Amino acid sequence: MKRILPFIIILCVLGVALGSAWYLTRTIPGSPNAVAVTNPAPQSPGSPVSQASPSRASVKTGVPGAEPANTRGPVNAPAQLEEFGDFQCPPCGVFHPVLEQMEEEFGDKLRVTFRHFPLVPKHQHALAAASAAEAAGMQGKFWQMHKLIYDHQKDWAQVFDARPIFEGYAKQIGLDIERYKRDIGSEAIVQRIINDGKRAHSLGVSGTPTVFLNGQEVPFESLAPEKLRVLIQKEIASAGK
Amino acid sequence: MAIGNRQLAMYVAAALLSLLGIADALYLTIEHITGQSVKCTIISGCSEVLSSRYAVIAGVPLASIGAAAYFTVFSLATLAAFGYRFASTLLTPVVVAMFLVSLWLIYLQAFVIREFCQYCLFSAAVTVMLLVVVLIGLRLRRA
Repeated sequence: MKRILPFIIILCVLGVALGSAWYLTRTIPGSPNAVAVTNPAPQSPGSPVSQASPSRASVKTGVPGAEPANTRGPVNAPAQLEEFGDFQCPPCGVFHPVLEQMEEEFGDKLRVTFRHFPLVPKHQHALAAASAAEAAGMQGKFWQMHKLIYDHQKDWAQVFDARPIFEGYAKQIGLDIERYKRDIGSEAIVQRIINDGKRAHSLGVSGTPTVFLNGQEVPFESLAPEKLRVLIQKEIASAGK
Repeated sequence: MAIGNRQLAMYVAAALLSLLGIADALYLTIEHITGQSVKCTIISGCSEVLSSRYAVIAGVPLASIGAAAYFTVFSLATLAAFGYRFASTLLTPVVVAMFLVSLWLIYLQAFVIREFCQYCLFSAAVTVMLLVVVLIGLRLRRA
């Protein structure tokens, strides 16, 4: 008996561990095994998820974000990618060139939407960065500012006050600086960022970057270029059928 | 093979510590699988660490690999406590390997991700304690 007792103990611990894991993954809302809950809120006409196939159980619609959204690519592109990002989050900075690469590879087959999800107060400059990008957007240069902010994330992330740096970027891309200064603190921009946050909340976004492809959340581990490429190719192929 | 009381105590301590490690790693694995946001109650930074690209290796959540490693240690410590010599021989290299991986993970948190996750730090602390216990057990075995 003494010889098999340790094996019995080990099997008991294994059973308890696997049993509790199985139970918890079934009961926690949002788990793959739990019943999928979709948000019945109406879609925004301009929202990229409005292109998603309604037959998929995991497609979420959410409430509309800021309108018009910051988008790139044709409205009817077969692959509609929506990113919830924080300009100060390091993984978002890593994902930025990946997304640029995907846009270059897929051209007009891919439409990208960027939504703000600044993780404040953890990232103390995230809100200022989002406001700077939106202020640039007011002059039609959101994506130029978006690129500069991400490309130089390490230059401003650790400084005490990042606003002068963002203003420097504004000058660099040729913005009307007086208008930029007026717009950056405007209620309209605050509301746009809040609206994106509300959309993120309605979709269950809790971290950044969170990416949806045709309304389906892309797991973080699939944001590597080789995996994301395959997912986009699948969406384009299924749209062509 | 008969083992001394102090050596037995070390193996029991190692088994109990590894149970803590299993619980911690299992919690993180479940949160990863279910897509829940892990709540950082002492320090912030859990979401940054656990959503980083280092949290998954070849599609497998790192936390689940940790849970498997702790279960291996639990099994070996239990078998060693019952006098299985091969288990006591294997226990030390396994724990040393886990300690080295923990060092690497702390390096990633400190210098690459620049955020700390309390559950990961707890796991590292458990591994350090396991290493101490196993090394004391090894010394007793040789004495």
